[in-house]
Amino acid sequence: MSMSRTALLAGVLSLFLLPCSKAAAPAVRSEPLHVRIDRLIGIDQDFARYDAGLASDSEFLRRVHIDLAGYIPTSAQIRAFLADSAPDKRRRVIEQLLNSPEYARNMAQVFDVLLMERRPSRHVPQADWHEFLRQAFLNNRPWDEVVREILSGDGTDPKKRHRIKFFLERDSDPHLVSRDISRLLLGMNLQCAQCHDHPRIEDYRQEHYYGLFAFVSRMTAVQDKNKKLLLLSEKADGETTYQSVFDPKKITKTAVPRVPFGPALVEPLVDKAKLYVIAPAADVAAVPTFSRLARLAGAITQRDYLPFRRNLANRLWAHLMGRGLFEPFDNDHSANPPSHPEVLDLLAQELADNGFNIRAILRELALTKTYQRSSIPRPGTDAKQAPLYAIAVVKPLSPEQLAWSVMQATGLLESYRKAYGGKDPEGEAYRRLAPSAALFINAFANPPGQPQTFEPRTDQALLLANHPSLRSWLAPGSTLATRLNSLPLPTRVEELYLSVLGRLPDEEERKEATEFLTRQPKDIGDLAWALLTSPEFRFNH
Amino acid sequence: MHCNYACGSSDHLLSRRSFLTAAGGALGLGLLTQPSLARVLNGQQKRVLVIDLHGGVSQLETWDPKPGTNTGGPFQAIPTSVPGIHISELLPHTARQMHRMALVRSLNTAEDDHGKGAIIMNTGRRQEPGLTYPHLGSACARLLGDESNPLPGYINITPHGTGGVSVADAAFLGPRFAPVSLDDGKAPQNIDRPADLTAAAEQTRQLLRLRASERFLRRRRTAQTEAYTQTYDQAVGLMQKKHLFNTANEPEKLRDRYGRHDFGRHCLLARRLLEGGATFVKVTHTNYDTHHENFDFHLEQLGEFDLPFATLLEDLALRGLLDTTLVIVQSEFGRTPNINHLYGRDHWSRAWSVALAGCGIKGGAVVGKTNANGTAVVDREVNAGHLFHTYFKALGLDPKKNFYVEQRPIPLADPKASAITEILA
Repeated sequence: MSMSRTALLAGVLSLFLLPCSKAAAPAVRSEPLHVRIDRLIGIDQDFARYDAGLASDSEFLRRVHIDLAGYIPTSAQIRAFLADSAPDKRRRVIEQLLNSPEYARNMAQVFDVLLMERRPSRHVPQADWHEFLRQAFLNNRPWDEVVREILSGDGTDPKKRHRIKFFLERDSDPHLVSRDISRLLLGMNLQCAQCHDHPRIEDYRQEHYYGLFAFVSRMTAVQDKNKKLLLLSEKADGETTYQSVFDPKKITKTAVPRVPFGPALVEPLVDKAKLYVIAPAADVAAVPTFSRLARLAGAITQRDYLPFRRNLANRLWAHLMGRGLFEPFDNDHSANPPSHPEVLDLLAQELADNGFNIRAILRELALTKTYQRSSIPRPGTDAKQAPLYAIAVVKPLSPEQLAWSVMQATGLLESYRKAYGGKDPEGEAYRRLAPSAALFINAFANPPGQPQTFEPRTDQALLLANHPSLRSWLAPGSTLATRLNSLPLPTRVEELYLSVLGRLPDEEERKEATEFLTRQPKDIGDLAWALLTSPEFRFNH
Repeated sequence: MHCNYACGSSDHLLSRRSFLTAAGGALGLGLLTQPSLARVLNGQQKRVLVIDLHGGVSQLETWDPKPGTNTGGPFQAIPTSVPGIHISELLPHTARQMHRMALVRSLNTAEDDHGKGAIIMNTGRRQEPGLTYPHLGSACARLLGDESNPLPGYINITPHGTGGVSVADAAFLGPRFAPVSLDDGKAPQNIDRPADLTAAAEQTRQLLRLRASERFLRRRRTAQTEAYTQTYDQAVGLMQKKHLFNTANEPEKLRDRYGRHDFGRHCLLARRLLEGGATFVKVTHTNYDTHHENFDFHLEQLGEFDLPFATLLEDLALRGLLDTTLVIVQSEFGRTPNINHLYGRDHWSRAWSVALAGCGIKGGAVVGKTNANGTAVVDREVNAGHLFHTYFKALGLDPKKNFYVEQRPIPLADPKASAITEILA
């Protein structure tokens, strides 16, 4: 009886998760996605009044370079872009970035931080995992396929440990894994629905939590004697029962594997004699004939299962636009509607139609006016009154973006690429500079297991102010100072601004910098430092 | 398997932005403004000093001696400056400060694991899956701290730690209230102006920075850009306070009295920092995990602890700081009354003691009692929750007030416990 009520409830609740792009604004199918998005974003009647207009070429290039390649462009790249008069140059640079090795590395970093939240790599080496992700983005593998691999839980091949990393680094704790799958992959934090229906979010029920939990509850980590590795073991049987702590009658329910708002898993009857491919034994990772764990990824990545697509769409949107269509990112529910529901529907639908093609989605997002809009409010308007996205969001650089932008601004990245050219200059420069970048990443990263937030601290300012490494990268004789000092004064000022802030100086800045450098030519590093520590460098705008 | 009734929620909720939004609603209740307002009204800044005797100090060799019993060990009890109160003879200097101190001799924290015991004593609660509570230092940095103070709100002086910032300890309060650890009492990392940068050049580059920042902020000022630029002002402020971290500036005689060894220097540093406006300072003295040779080790360790600690209390009192500084001497647990075959004492949390002093604490008070040989609490049993209620009350804060994590109220102290009023002034 309670089952039928449950099914009914889930049915009702799933209404809000259904796509409704057909009912949305007059989106013409034949129009490119970016045009349809811009129309939906600009629908507010006040929009035109506040519309900040397109960002300047240099601001756009810096922005898209940081978002897609992971760090700021070089002065040469900016000069080339500014000199290009072709009307399609923004489209071309987007395309070029999306197909660059930097893009693959950047997206691997972004999704590593999203999925693993900087948990220490105790069981699966970070380098192997990162390389798996990098290859996935390099080849633009369909994201659903990648997630099915990551969540396959299949640890039998010692060379494919990325298949169990998500679980092992979470101590194979089914509760932690359930929580994180709901938060990070479904955009719904079901943690508060573990002991009772969620006290504040009506949509999140205890049965949703335990539906997810039932997929992973049979796993444990086992130290395999022969392979000398920690492996994931799974039992073929065992059910979880639960009660609500709020239920005075203490009715006990049995968890049924079922993704939230999705269908229940159909489990085959397995011959009792053939429950296992590898039977459980001491120090052996058991492999059941029918694995619930292996079905989890399939269930969440099913084409008609919406939460997975909404979550991905929202996070890709936020990566470029600086805020989610719904926030927090793990609070997708009917009482927290997206700011632009039709846009979310459109993106979620596109993911299904294009086969989880992340590169294609990012291309369309980067092509929107919404993305390319200026972050400077229109003169005479109050930015606080502006509709969302009428002015571009000023977003902090991630720890990685900041670290690698410092490497770029100081000229280290370029000089390492040249010095260690060969077949893979990007990879070589990355590997050799990674320890230097780590100095900043470690200081700016949130603690393991927590999502990245922006909380500037004094110790970070001290690091940027006084750390001998950064000091030496700006000092006389450094790559940057040497290059700049070889140039005549007007060009020197231009190159300094282009290298650090990604734009040409305005008249006032030219004048002040020229005066300063005429008076104190040796101290060009201090001027570079001042630009590097200004919010203009710290943020993507 | 069964639901473990662990209601957790915090991890994603830790976003400072959402916390601030939620806490913004609490502004009207006065939680956030109260400390600074109180400070204005009283002309007093409240501070906290924690001495952490790491490893688990023996209550029998310190605050609750049981000489002449089967568990008492070789050391005697000595009278103190408060008639009727006796403590271990290993603490002769501290004994003379007893009129400034209060003892809680009936602590039962029911946790014999180092890590979990430390969490209980540092957060006032048992560890819960899903919800991490902030350390007392982070809570005090948040509640008693002052935005304009360039000193970190929570300073942790460690003997030979790693230094740096342990962001996780601030839990949902956010990394800004995380402890800054001073490895061996050294100043925070990167506080030194680069050697090749003159004071004049430093001033110039800071002016250039302000100029560049101002240009950007003219048209694009947000709460985030504001918070970011402020950190440089705080860094400059902290660099100007660098002298506070240098105990060599103190008179030779006083340095001698504190002791030239690590713990002595660290105690003196703590006093300098508290005097210089620090909100919360923790000093760790280690090596109390005496599973063997408990008595030799305590003789040695407490011999090092006694004089610097007594000197610190007296110094704070003489400078008029003790009235506004809550002092807590704690461990992660005590040690077994039973003496093992290696002449050691093992982990023991059922009946042990802490010592308090200063702000809001009644000097010369003793609360709680263990039985004749110290194997059980017989009167006024309390746990860390009671201690936290007491700390907050002593500091003039309402322990029943809440932090807000996404509208979810998180009481400052465990609502199941209450303050130990007998030792509150």
